[in-house]
Amino acid sequence: MTLVRAVARRLATAAVVLWAAATAAYLALLLAPGSTVDSIIGDGADTPEIRAQIIAEWHLDRPEIVQYATYLLRAAQGDLGRSYQLQRPVSDVIGAQLLPTLKLALAAVAIAVVIAVVVAVVTAGRRPWLRRASSTTELVLVSTPTFLIGLILLNIFSFRLGLFPVSGDRDLSALVLPAITLALPIGSLLAQVLRDGIERALDEPFVVTARARGVRETAVLARHALRHALLPAVTLTGWLFGVLIGGTVIIEQVFGRPGIGQVTLLAVSTKDMPVVLAVVVLSAAVYVALSTAADLAYLLIDPRLRRS
Amino acid sequence: MLPFSRTPRLAAAAAALALALTACSGGGTGDTADSAGQPVAGGALTWGIETEPITFNPHQYAQAKARLLVWNSFEALLTHDADGGFVPWLATGYQVSPDGLVYTVKLRTDVTFHDGEKFDAAAVKANFDQLLQPGYAPALRGVQLRNLGSVTVTVTDPATVTITLTAPDVLILDFLASPQGAQISPKSLREAKNLKAGGPDVVGTGPFVLDRYTPGQEVHYRKYPAYHWAPANAGHQGAAYLDEVTYRFLKESSVRVGALTSGQVQVIEGVPATDQDLVKTTPQLALNKSLNSGSAYSYYFNTGHAPFDDVRVRRAFRDAVDVDAVLQAVYRGTATRAWSVIGPTSPLYDKRFEGSYGNNAANADKLLDEAGWSGRDAEGFRTRDGKRLTVRVVQSAPYVRDRRDILAQAVQAAVKQSAGIDLKVSIVDQGTATAAIAANEFEIFDNSRADTDAGAALNLLLFSTGAINRTNYKDPELDGLLAAGQATGDPAKRVSVYSDIQRLTVADQALLLPLYAPADQIGAARTIGGIGFEPTAGVPGSAYNIWIGK
Repeated sequence: MTLVRAVARRLATAAVVLWAAATAAYLALLLAPGSTVDSIIGDGADTPEIRAQIIAEWHLDRPEIVQYATYLLRAAQGDLGRSYQLQRPVSDVIGAQLLPTLKLALAAVAIAVVIAVVVAVVTAGRRPWLRRASSTTELVLVSTPTFLIGLILLNIFSFRLGLFPVSGDRDLSALVLPAITLALPIGSLLAQVLRDGIERALDEPFVVTARARGVRETAVLARHALRHALLPAVTLTGWLFGVLIGGTVIIEQVFGRPGIGQVTLLAVSTKDMPVVLAVVVLSAAVYVALSTAADLAYLLIDPRLRRS
Repeated sequence: MLPFSRTPRLAAAAAALALALTACSGGGTGDTADSAGQPVAGGALTWGIETEPITFNPHQYAQAKARLLVWNSFEALLTHDADGGFVPWLATGYQVSPDGLVYTVKLRTDVTFHDGEKFDAAAVKANFDQLLQPGYAPALRGVQLRNLGSVTVTVTDPATVTITLTAPDVLILDFLASPQGAQISPKSLREAKNLKAGGPDVVGTGPFVLDRYTPGQEVHYRKYPAYHWAPANAGHQGAAYLDEVTYRFLKESSVRVGALTSGQVQVIEGVPATDQDLVKTTPQLALNKSLNSGSAYSYYFNTGHAPFDDVRVRRAFRDAVDVDAVLQAVYRGTATRAWSVIGPTSPLYDKRFEGSYGNNAANADKLLDEAGWSGRDAEGFRTRDGKRLTVRVVQSAPYVRDRRDILAQAVQAAVKQSAGIDLKVSIVDQGTATAAIAANEFEIFDNSRADTDAGAALNLLLFSTGAINRTNYKDPELDGLLAAGQATGDPAKRVSVYSDIQRLTVADQALLLPLYAPADQIGAARTIGGIGFEPTAGVPGSAYNIWIGK
């Protein structure tokens, strides 16, 4: 019963978060400079008749509160409207682009986690020069713009060595470079957080106990200390999501990949309200799902939380 | 050094023939296909292009960079020749009534749309009817078709359409030769799911069929084997040489160039100034360039308020800039300087203004002193009554191309140094840009238009009521000249009218600072033959003439 209530509360929270995100985005777009008619006209010809036609076609003459209410009502029924720019249903525009972005994001997270865990376990509490070298490399990678990493990787592995194709989402080989590009800064930051966590854990009394029991150093690191270091890393989920979204925008641009990033970039710069709103709501939904998953992960990682 | 898989084989004997075959491709320069040999049928080509079209429906076309795609699968009633005249395409000819109001167009009778529908007068009328539907193409209705009265089909002759205008308007011919005037199958017009967005279910009569579109990635065309109605100046007749052509959207210029040098694509357009030497000096590659038609890229001065309401300040701004030096710094010698509001390749271009102004800091100083901007503030900028001489240019980020943001910074430095003018450059989102324009909070408006007929561009930019007349310059004499240019079909008369327009706007009123003539570049493997640019427009042509040599 309590479980049902917990789930219900969780869902209600999710609905409120989605509504808040949609409303905030709606307001932001409404208050942003430039009228919607201007955005639809874009670089095209502009006469009073053209304006009148656009206003009539998109029902822009209704009061803003009515437009907002209509939008919410339709969105609740799964109808996200039509893109001003692309003249297609938003669900079409975004739907086709979800899978490539999802593939890229998941591959990047997987690579980042592997990089982070391996690097952290290998360098934590070891020889100072190794730790320093690793830490410096991570810092450089975190602070290098993603597009620069992408261009360097492309230059070496695609243009010079011809190992991977530059563009598209045809097969797995086209996923390798963009996923690594996106994974490098994320993995580097995760590695730093993990290493700090591990090193703090290594000073705890239970590690001394484990060592005294004759557990090998690698096992101490991987089984005992790493587990302790995971919590702060999981807390980074929200940040990670932000980096992923921001990163895919640039990576899809550089690598000529299909995906949400490109659509979002165009929609934001042309004030294509229906598309921007849909992306915001979608992002909020993913964020809610991820933070729920993070809550669950806490329970799995830290048995103490299960008892309370 | 570059991993190139193909070794070009020189076929010297065939080279001359190949050049002769591609010579008709118009304003382009370059050394295309001197090793591509004779045309060969077959093969699949991959192009890297800069711009993903917002729509594939030609009626909705608004991006010059999408033209090379439009003409693969769609065709218009007329097309341009290299001198700006018209050649029949899906039409066999046309007649204009003496009063300039009635155009009678005869059509080909052997043309079939990709979906099997017959091309005839009823199809042409269906296209016009669609264009006049409210909400379908409001910009077209309001501008290109504003003088369209009615379109009628002669019942006894399914191959004749009569277009009746409410006022004489020679630009209707330009419309009939434009992407927006391209013919879509009536079945598509009725049944396409997303008619405005276009795609595989919106079909035309062109030499290629658009059969696959992956947004964000690529668009794929395959040969339409039944095609046999190319216009007389197309370069060849019959079906296209290529079996397939894929256009990949590669927005990053360095990535496009890398994809070309590594052989992942065989052709790219949009070769940035910084990489043109690399393409030229790579033995396996060739660079082709062509200047666009239409209006030159210029800074238009807003005469609606101070300081550019004073012609002396407008002249001073022009004289303060050494345009050649600025272009050299930004484009490394790859840009062609513009001297007039009309681009140098247009038949309407008037050469008289070349060298007639500019790079004269002393004169700029003198003019500004006369206009009362004689003070200087602590930072060295000119002032009048304690107010700094500040002018603002607001650029909408989605439309910034050709490094025009960098160009603006170079002009900014030039006018500051030589005349103490404070040019404020803002690159903003489109909403902010349109809001600034609407509020009249700008002094400089930057623009170039790639219309095939420069007259169409000038109507939008200079007419008192022009849709993008952001100079706010309103003058009955200028309006009269523009109207005369639109009403007369006599080429010699048009040249003289547009010469007067250029004198008025460039020499007398100094309404603008012309900067450069926009150009298109194509980089291609030397094995690729038949690369060309559209006559008159100067933008890359379709894939119809292209072949893959051995």
